[in-house]
Amino acid sequence: MLLSIVRARSGEPGGSWLDQQCATAGNDVDILCAAYTMASARVGRAPLALDASARETLAAAAPGLDAGRWTLDDAARAALLLAAAERLSRDAFATAATACFERGDAREQGSWLRAIALLPDPERFLSLAIDACRTNIIPLFESIACENPYPARFFPERNFNQMVLKSLFNSIALSRIVGRESRLNAELSRMAGDYAAERRAAGRTVPADIGLAMIETGSAGVRR
Amino acid sequence: MKIFDPHVHMTSRTTDDYEAMAAAGVAAIVEPAFWLGQPRTTVGSFVDYFNSLLGWERFRASQFGIQHFCTIGLNPKEANNPRLADEVLQMLPRFLGKDGVVAIGEIGFDDQTDAEQSVFTRQIALAAEFNLPILIHTPHRDKKQGTIRSIETVRAAGFPEERVLVDHNNEETLPIVLESRCWAGHTIYPNTKMDEHRMAALVQKYGADRIIVNSAADWGISDPLKVPKTIDVMRAHGIDDATIQRIVWDNPVAFFSQSGRLDLADSSARPAIDRSKKFENSSVLRGEQVR
Repeated sequence: MLLSIVRARSGEPGGSWLDQQCATAGNDVDILCAAYTMASARVGRAPLALDASARETLAAAAPGLDAGRWTLDDAARAALLLAAAERLSRDAFATAATACFERGDAREQGSWLRAIALLPDPERFLSLAIDACRTNIIPLFESIACENPYPARFFPERNFNQMVLKSLFNSIALSRIVGRESRLNAELSRMAGDYAAERRAAGRTVPADIGLAMIETGSAGVRR
Repeated sequence: MKIFDPHVHMTSRTTDDYEAMAAAGVAAIVEPAFWLGQPRTTVGSFVDYFNSLLGWERFRASQFGIQHFCTIGLNPKEANNPRLADEVLQMLPRFLGKDGVVAIGEIGFDDQTDAEQSVFTRQIALAAEFNLPILIHTPHRDKKQGTIRSIETVRAAGFPEERVLVDHNNEETLPIVLESRCWAGHTIYPNTKMDEHRMAALVQKYGADRIIVNSAADWGISDPLKVPKTIDVMRAHGIDDATIQRIVWDNPVAFFSQSGRLDLADSSARPAIDRSKKFENSSVLRGEQVR
């Protein structure tokens, strides 16, 4: 589906290029990584702008996934990975996909993380996803933390809590964290409370949505 | 007033900064090894970074009349890459005995993971082995808990607390550090961490014992003149110069002197600056004539 959407939106020659790359994706890791890099130049970086039925199809493949901020190159890269997954053994795909991430620049890594929930057996990429949260490049952090069902589904509590705190630190609306309500916990409530106290002691403002990180106030479906 | 900035990442700064710092009275600095903003992927990147702290950066500082010392260590963020962390820890000892290395640091917690705990503990053991003090970075997130855990980790290792500087304190963590025998660092930043006025208020409340301030200027929004600016604000708050001098010179000198490698012999008489000198054929002049 992603392939046909990209083809329709980006036209030629980007569409044919992506077709060809997907048809052989995974035969050679270097070629796959090169195509993964070139996607921005080949299909462009325009917003993907999915219609309602396409959004539903994606959400069926990965519940909670919201591709509303995806761009054409994000979708092309996801199509490349999924094509490689169909053609490779389980282990060979993990190696190839990891290479695409490790060799990628911040934009390529962002595409990769946005699509992580669509990959087969995504839990095997947990340590990569947790490590990605350590970036200081905020758009890259947002690509795993926001509009992405992966952290709530797979992150251990400590890592999920750190991701929520880091979002607060970077003024990222907590309402963008998918599945947040289901992962609220006592330790996160304490951390958010300590952070509010630290901000007040420093004479600074407290994020308006900090209550969304706390059990008492965050589970009532409050949305900004 | 002679100033010691005990935490500033000059690798990320320009020669204009060195000039301004020297003009404001900064005579000596410590540059802790830290995260470069972009994760390193091979041990060789660390080798080159540590060498540049000990070599090129020390020379660059000297060209502006500033004495440059450094701390060497694996920062907590990169401690989470297990393969890399092992390789870096095995390589660290070759740097820990060198002149001008006045502590192990910045070490401590970021996400407060088990991997960070393990790398922290292993570096405390290295500090004991090389008779070096420790510079501890306290985390941005869950800071109070991270500070408590850091001090507990030092205690569990049986490392002497008076040889530990716990950095980046705020109103919530300073009382915790002062209850221990560790020293307490404060990073004066334009927007985050601590500011000059809050710092002056903390000095009025807690005094100058074991209190240290720094700019921690790096590649982010930061200001290498924050220590001299804090002096101005402390004076405006009526804090006397004897107290201020303890904070901006005597305390950091006393702390890092515990390494036995803080040689400040030159600092009373500023070195005559000869910018025509070269370091491995590189000059900071880049082809300019000496004025």
